[in-house]
Amino acid sequence: MFKLPRKTLINFIVIFGSLFLLSNFLSCFKNSAQKTFKPHLSLVGLLKRELTGIIFYHRNMMQAERLRNEADALRWRLFDLREISQENARLNNLLNFKQRSPLRLVAAKVIGRSPDSWSSSVLIDRGRENGIKPGMVVVSPQGLVGSIIESADNTSKVLLINDPNQGVSSIVQRSRQEGLVSGTLGTNLIMRYLPEEAQIVVGDIIVTSELSRVYPKGLLVGRVVNLGREFSGLNRYALVKPLVDLANIEEVLVIIP
Amino acid sequence: MKKLFLFLGIIFLATLGLIWPKPLRFFYCQPDLLLIFMVALVFYTDFKTAWLFGMLAGLAKDLFLPGNFAINTICFGLWGYALDRLSRQISTDEPAVRLAIILVVALLNNLILGLQSVSAGNVIPAGIFLRNLIIVSVYTTVLAPLIFKLTKKITLAF
Repeated sequence: MFKLPRKTLINFIVIFGSLFLLSNFLSCFKNSAQKTFKPHLSLVGLLKRELTGIIFYHRNMMQAERLRNEADALRWRLFDLREISQENARLNNLLNFKQRSPLRLVAAKVIGRSPDSWSSSVLIDRGRENGIKPGMVVVSPQGLVGSIIESADNTSKVLLINDPNQGVSSIVQRSRQEGLVSGTLGTNLIMRYLPEEAQIVVGDIIVTSELSRVYPKGLLVGRVVNLGREFSGLNRYALVKPLVDLANIEEVLVIIP
Repeated sequence: MKKLFLFLGIIFLATLGLIWPKPLRFFYCQPDLLLIFMVALVFYTDFKTAWLFGMLAGLAKDLFLPGNFAINTICFGLWGYALDRLSRQISTDEPAVRLAIILVVALLNNLILGLQSVSAGNVIPAGIFLRNLIIVSVYTTVLAPLIFKLTKKITLAF
């Protein structure tokens, strides 16, 4: 059906060959492109938020009431926890434990999301000018969100933990069983390389391990919702539901080491 | 003037792709607006313009994706060339034919992106792979007439 003349074929190969080579220099354009997009993305994001607020007024009102009740309950719990925390601090001092230095955090707003469904990333409105560099860890008050993979002058790209390219060395908080948590593009993460005798059950909390060079130890990752056996039959895996609602995240905190 | 508006069209669709509203996401999927724009350019403009702006649309998509390899730029260029060859062989004036073409292109494009991700060693469950392959392609096809109208307006106005 298609008859390709030799000249066209050669031109085609030359053009796509050059494109293939050029495509490896994509990162050169990224900074300026993200810089150009930032102002109007922020503006559109603001308009979107305001419009959503007006449209979903009733739902927001009900939600606010529910959250107010929840906040009251949590406030009481916080008082209890403060007591426990003070006791813990006293015990730490008694045992001469080294106090961990407090984390320096930079708050950022999500201004864009991955434009396709084969990756899971977000664009935030803080960049190199705010001290953000690739490799830094991104969290939210609920737990681990991901890590910075690119940073422009005033924007950065965060690879979320549910992206398949993301791998987090983690442990089961209860039994200290180690495993590797990676994304599946779905709502759940997968914790792999669990041995047959692994001490893990549905409901266990998963936190980052001290073996991870990127993530600080003890960050909350998620909760085990299901267990299974890998196709090879050698290991087991666990499906982990992230504690952070990654699909709706709007504000994040970047940990500056 | 036409080229400026085509460029603005790419910026508009790229922005829309980045802030696609959550209520319009079906099963966590969103349509590939820039792919529709690239295909529409082949139908409404000459080959050179379609190819150039098609690749620019691919580049706009790649710039906001993680990873440093411009796979969409290459794929969009490839689809632009293939569709131009196809439109010389068969009539693409019928809306149904155009929708069928966009569905096939979206399916192939998603298949390439998915296989590239899997071949890189990533674990993507079969259900999610099929979800991204089928729902994204069908959603892209459903929205195609709107982007076709936009492209037609830009190309016919100048």
